[in-house]
Amino acid sequence: MGLLVLVWIAPIAWMLTTGIKPTPEIFALPPRWIPRHPTLDHVVVVLTRWPFARWMLNSLVVAGTTTVLSTAVSIPAAYVFSRLSWRGRDAVFLVFLSSMLIPLEVNVIPLYFLMNDLHLLNTYPAVFLPMIGMPIGIFLLRQFFVNIPLELDDAARVDGCGNLRILWHVILPLSRPALAALVIYVFTFAWNEFFWSMIALSSPQMFTVPIGLRALQGAFDIDYGILMAGASLAALPALVVFLFLQRSIIRGITMTAHK
Amino acid sequence: MNWKRLSRAIEISAFLLPFAAFWVLFRLVPVLYGFFISLYKWDLLGDARFIGLRNYVNLGRDPRFWNALGVTLEFAAIAIPLIVGIGLLLALFIFGGRRRRWAAAAEAGFFFPYLLTVSVVGLIWRWMLDPDFGIVLLVLRGWGLPAPVFLNEPRWAIPAIAFATAWWLSGYRMVLFRAALEDIPEEFYEAARIDGASGARMFFSITLPLLKPAVLFALVLTTISGFIVFGQVLIMTAGGPGRVSEVLALYLYRFGFEYLEMGQAAAVGVVLFLIILGLTLVTFRWLGYGSSL
Repeated sequence: MGLLVLVWIAPIAWMLTTGIKPTPEIFALPPRWIPRHPTLDHVVVVLTRWPFARWMLNSLVVAGTTTVLSTAVSIPAAYVFSRLSWRGRDAVFLVFLSSMLIPLEVNVIPLYFLMNDLHLLNTYPAVFLPMIGMPIGIFLLRQFFVNIPLELDDAARVDGCGNLRILWHVILPLSRPALAALVIYVFTFAWNEFFWSMIALSSPQMFTVPIGLRALQGAFDIDYGILMAGASLAALPALVVFLFLQRSIIRGITMTAHK
Repeated sequence: MNWKRLSRAIEISAFLLPFAAFWVLFRLVPVLYGFFISLYKWDLLGDARFIGLRNYVNLGRDPRFWNALGVTLEFAAIAIPLIVGIGLLLALFIFGGRRRRWAAAAEAGFFFPYLLTVSVVGLIWRWMLDPDFGIVLLVLRGWGLPAPVFLNEPRWAIPAIAFATAWWLSGYRMVLFRAALEDIPEEFYEAARIDGASGARMFFSITLPLLKPAVLFALVLTTISGFIVFGQVLIMTAGGPGRVSEVLALYLYRFGFEYLEMGQAAAVGVVLFLIILGLTLVTFRWLGYGSSL
């Protein structure tokens, strides 16, 4: 088992060590796992000749905005789908839910036209706007809200609370795990989005990390020292966050699976 | 009384409105808009000429489209079982060792690649499978095994990309499956054990049926991501060698943004959507889930 895990994460180790090897060692035969003369040359090239820090910032803005807005609009919607009963509720929910079958990728051409009409191409909103109305958001939250006893709402109502206050003071404080799960899901989704971002963003200053790496590849093709240094830098935030929050991230995903 | 009902309807609408607005504008409208675009021939100046279903006819006549469809199906046929299968196997391992110390660490290790962005995954595997210096090839040859130059060999390009994708995504499925395994009541196994059921019998009669909803969810999720595969292909092979790994999304991208045939590219989007819709319905049908989701 231990061996299998090591093999499984070996590609990541290989990426990290390649990024800090001088070029002759990268192409040395037989290959060397541990660099003999580690160097930051490639890392410096990526950080100084390319707007890598800017790409990080762009990714952070895009993923952060997507996460905040998408969570904010999903909460009240999930509330009316789970805590109130009204005619047509389940039908409307099903319509939203079935739109999970419309991934961003099938919509890139119309989105390109739409963003062009709105003069938003090559801006942050072009990238994050299409990711906000994600049905998974209301799906996850609704699943959680449904299991909170309705008596809590009734008690609050007797005390004169309206729906907004029930949502804010009763439901949300109880829903932290579900919110955490949603935040993790949406953030990784937005952080990793590739196809649409590549179409929507045209100037290197606006690139997100995945698009920037693609540009790096276009410029260096098989200069693997630089490519792996870039990839390592791109992976570093995920690695650090995961080392600290590993248990809550995995528990967050588990949340989405439990009934 | 009526006033009360009206104000309630307004309140419900207000709660739904923020989500619905984004959803309608950026998810529903584009689908319809995409179909509309696909009925026109667009030229560079932005002028459009209505040509009915001609773009779809052109797709049907384009051998390159059929190639892309075939390549996508091949990718899906390899990647989907690989991702779900490896995810399930790893989940069984982790669940089996849940009381041991290594389980959490192993789970974290298997899961981590999922957090990498697609470009990182593509670049890592392109380097690992490099025809001259790729560590995978060197190790295989070191063991005296015949190693194909994966990404440059027509027969191996798509399987290699599918494998890299499985490495990337199966950890997420593993966590979902492991959670589903935890939901199966221990008493079921105890009762079966008392009845003298074998391990295999318990797996097929208890574990697998009760995992069905999780498997269904993973299958739908994986099917969708299998058919819209793009980033890893672009980075690992750019559709090559020749066009043996040119998947539908790449075909769409090239027609839209390299040849500027927006109408035809939009038609590919519509076709892709219909394929996903059809396959999801089949998956639901096949696993016998009409209403339980």
